[in-house]
Amino acid sequence: MVPSFLARERVVAGPGYSRWLIPPAALAVHLCIGQVYATSVYKTALVQHFDSSLTAVGVIFSIAIVMLGLSAAVAGTWVDTHGPRAAMAVAAVFWSTGFLVAAVGIGTGQLWLVYLGYGVIGGIGLGIGYISPVSTLIKWFPDRPGLATGMAIMGFGGGALIASPLSARLMALYDSSYDATDPASVPDGHAVMLLFVTLGLVYLCFMLFGAYTVRVPADDWKPEGWDPGEVAEKPLVTTASVSAANAIRTPQFWLLWVVLFCNVTAGIGILEQAAPMIQDFFRDGADSSVSAAAAAGFVGLLSIANMAGRFVWSSTSDVIGRKPIYLLYLGVGIALYVMLAVVGDESTLLFVLLAAVIISFYGGGFATVPAYLRDLFGTFQVGAIHGRLLTAWSAAGIAGPLIVNKFLDARGTPGELVAADYRPGLLTMVALLVVGLVANLLIRQVDSRFHEDSDRSDLEGVSA
Amino acid sequence: MTARITVAWALVGVPLAYGVVETVRKAVTLFSG
Repeated sequence: MVPSFLARERVVAGPGYSRWLIPPAALAVHLCIGQVYATSVYKTALVQHFDSSLTAVGVIFSIAIVMLGLSAAVAGTWVDTHGPRAAMAVAAVFWSTGFLVAAVGIGTGQLWLVYLGYGVIGGIGLGIGYISPVSTLIKWFPDRPGLATGMAIMGFGGGALIASPLSARLMALYDSSYDATDPASVPDGHAVMLLFVTLGLVYLCFMLFGAYTVRVPADDWKPEGWDPGEVAEKPLVTTASVSAANAIRTPQFWLLWVVLFCNVTAGIGILEQAAPMIQDFFRDGADSSVSAAAAAGFVGLLSIANMAGRFVWSSTSDVIGRKPIYLLYLGVGIALYVMLAVVGDESTLLFVLLAAVIISFYGGGFATVPAYLRDLFGTFQVGAIHGRLLTAWSAAGIAGPLIVNKFLDARGTPGELVAADYRPGLLTMVALLVVGLVANLLIRQVDSRFHEDSDRSDLEGVSA
Repeated sequence: MTARITVAWALVGVPLAYGVVETVRKAVTLFSG
C-alpha cells in the first residue's frame, strides 16, 4: 500500500503533458544514486577516522551494490505495480535515510552503523531508484526506447562526476585544514559526517523533484505519427507481453543475464584498477612515467567515457538493433582487450583510447539492456524483469575485482607490477567476453507459450 | 509547458555540466603531465 497521492492512477498524464519531462525526472533520481561510484573521495578519511583498513571500509560499497541487485530483483514487481512516483519517493527516503544513519555512525564512531545505513538502507534506495523510471521511459518512448533509457542511465554514470568534486569542496568547507587539491591531505571524520548529512538532505529534495514531475502515459497514448506496427516488423521485437515470473523461465532471460554479467565483469576489471593500472603499464623500475595526478585524470576520463557510452551506444541501438549492438560491445570488446593486453604498453595515448572505448561499451551494456528486455518480453512487466536481471550486476561486482586482484596478488606486490602482470587477468576477461558473445548469438524470439493469455488468444485469432 | 521543460532540464543539466567540466579539468592533467 502507498499513500493515494503516490499511487499510479494519480500520476496518469493529462492532455498536453510533454514526454520530454520524463528524462529530467529520471535523471534527477539517477544523478543522485550515481554518487555510489564517488565513494573513493572520502574512503581514506573513513579509514583514518575508524582506525580501520581499506578492505573494511570498502565493504560499505560492496554491501550497497549487493543490496542494489537484491532490492531491484525483489521490489521490481512492486515498482511496476505502484508506478514511478511511489518508487522514486520510496527510493528517495531510503537513499537519504541511508546517508543520515551512516552520518550517525561516523559521528559516534560505529562502523556497523555505516554498513547498515549507507550499505543496507541506502543500497535498497539504490536498487529501487535504479529501476524506478525504466519502465515509464520505455512506455513514453516506444519509438526510441534505447535513447530514453540511455538518457536516464547516463545519469547514473554522471552522478559520480558531480558527487566527487562537490564532496571534496564540501569537506574543505567543513574542515579548514583539508586541502582538496593536495592528494596527501585527508579530511577529519566530522567533515565526512557533515558531508553525509548535506548529501542526504540535498538528494532527498532532488529525488522528490523527480517523483513530483514524473507521469505515466494514458493507456491509449502513443507518440504523434508513430505506428505501433513498425515495432513488430523488426527482428527479435515482440508486441506480446511476458510476465516477470514467466520471463525468468525463458532461456532468453538467462542468456541475457550471462551477456550482462560478462560485459560488466570485463568492464569492472579495468575500472577497479584504473589508476594503478595505467601507472603499472608505463613503469620503469620503481618509477612510472604516469604521475599520480595523471592517473587520477585517467580515472576521470574513463568516467566520461562510461557516461557518454551509456547515451551514445544505447541511442545507436534504436537504429541498428539490440542484438547487433551487443555483438559490437562483446566482439569489438574482445579485440580491444587483446590489444590492451598485447600492445597496450606501447603508448599512453593508445592505452587511454583502448580503455576509454572498452569502458564506453561497459556503460552502453547497462543502458541498452532495458530496451533489449522490452524487445524480447514487451512492456508489460519490463521494470520487474530488469530488476531481476540486475542480479547479474551484483554477481559481476564480486567476480570482476576478484579475478583481477587474484591474478595481480599472484604476480607481485602493488607498486612493483608491470604491464605483463596484467595479461593473465585481461586474457581471462577476453574468455569471458567470448562466452557473452556466444550467449548473445543464441538469443532468439521468446516462445509464444510464455506470452500472457490475451496475447496468445490474439495470436491464435490472427493465425486462424 | 515549454518553461516547465526548460526548468526541469536546467535543474539536472547544470549540475551535470558542472561535473563534466570538473572531470575534464582533472583529465587534462593526463595529457599535460
